[in-house]
Amino acid sequence: MTNTAQTIDLSLYAAVTEAVQAEARKVLEAGIVAAVVGWQAGRRKGTALPAIVTDPAKAKELIFSPACVNNLALYLTKAKKEIRAKGKIAIVAKGCDLKALVGLMGENQLKREDIHIIGVVCPGVQGANADRAQPLSETTIAGKCRECTVHTPEGADVTVGTLPQLPHFTPAESEELARLEAMTPAERWGFWKEHFSRCIRCYACRQVCPFCYCEQCLCDRNRPQAVESTPRPAGNMAWHIVRAMHLAGRCAGCAECERACPMDIPLNLLNRKMAKELKELYGFEAGFEVKEKGPLAQYREDDDQSFIK
Amino acid sequence: MHQTKTHAFEPKIVAFVCTWCTYAGADLAGTSRLQYPANTRVVKFPCTGRIDPVFILRAFQKGADGVLVSGCHPGDCHYMAGNFHARRRFAAFRALLDFIGVDLQRLQFSWVSAAEGGKWVEVATELTERVRQMGPMREFKELESEEQWSGVIDTPELKEAYNAI
Ligand code: SF4
Ligand code: SF4
Ligand code: SF4
Repeated sequence: MTNTAQTIDLSLYAAVTEAVQAEARKVLEAGIVAAVVGWQAGRRKGTALPAIVTDPAKAKELIFSPACVNNLALYLTKAKKEIRAKGKIAIVAKGCDLKALVGLMGENQLKREDIHIIGVVCPGVQGANADRAQPLSETTIAGKCRECTVHTPEGADVTVGTLPQLPHFTPAESEELARLEAMTPAERWGFWKEHFSRCIRCYACRQVCPFCYCEQCLCDRNRPQAVESTPRPAGNMAWHIVRAMHLAGRCAGCAECERACPMDIPLNLLNRKMAKELKELYGFEAGFEVKEKGPLAQYREDDDQSFIK
Repeated sequence: MHQTKTHAFEPKIVAFVCTWCTYAGADLAGTSRLQYPANTRVVKFPCTGRIDPVFILRAFQKGADGVLVSGCHPGDCHYMAGNFHARRRFAAFRALLDFIGVDLQRLQFSWVSAAEGGKWVEVATELTERVRQMGPMREFKELESEEQWSGVIDTPELKEAYNAI
């Protein structure tokens, strides 16, 4: 057979699972934390779902596998107050999830001393539409993982696992971004219009994003109404522009919004674009160190103003 | 002889201005009887820092052909730093609009102080003339008139689900 997609060695996941279970048991038994947020196996084979474990005996239910797609940082935001109310929480985090935790700390949503981070070395997770029976390969891995720079998370309380040799994947998202950037504005408008007009405004992208924690979203307000709430093309366009703007400089790039989207709208392309622009404009990258202020919450007197007359 | 009637396009320009500098500057242009195209609708804000990008979007959606955003020169902000913050926000917003496919020629930012009646006239005239050349802003209006969900069902799963209804 030609063109066999190189697959990722799965032995790491089993080793990480064991280490996560041991660490979870340890911190729960020692009373360091009141709960551990992690993943457990789903009912169908090859699936996983978020789990909150408070009993050390149940630590053995925690797993780490290519199906552990969720960014668990979501469970520590204002949107999920009941979990934080338990006390100090341990959380299992992949590199990209850790970036979200770091961002939340920068935004004063979390205190470092209130959480215990169990970082997991991560070769990649499954893409949203991948066949879960297939091994993890170039065809089934999530787009973000093909060009991941944080396989080994840094700054966690413990980090488990050692990264195996990974196959080289083509950076599909960056290539797609470059393709769009090379288009004319009218072509780009056509591209996004087609995608956005498919949006059903289910807000799954918002609900799954750790940074969409506003208690009232601008897009739900109707007095005055800034963004139409019905899924008409005009309102959809506004919703997507507002979403991208509100996440600019904050988005951790976990691509959860895109995964959760039932209409396959390439949201992470927008996120990536804004991250790239803010890096070029202000040298800012979200999620690597706790920063008091994001790029749009601060200024320098000599910022570029060549576009202002 | 047959005569063709041409419909003269008059651009609608919405100007979001801060009350302390640009609004006073535009007022000065008026009291000084300086002439400029009557296409500009001025909306006054306490500070450029209050001008949410969503207002710009809304203006385009509701029929503006061009948008002007203007405030105090850096260092002259009544609230010290409102315009510095706005500057970053607008830089990011421009990049986003460009990526979505909006022609940035229709969106102008400027600093106009209370003493610069002449500059106000210049900026407003320039944008109006440029937009006049470009013609109407169609993109947002077309979206606005599309009442229906116009999605294309393009995945096998969706097609299957749809056919099962
Ligand atoms: S982006 Fe990196 S850390 Fe995140 S799931 Fe993919 S491989 Fe793991
Ligand atoms: S916008 Fe999307 S990619 Fe960014 S942090 Fe939120 S869910 Fe993750
Ligand atoms: S998840 Fe997708 S369909 Fe739902 S609101 Fe977000 S972009 Fe629209």
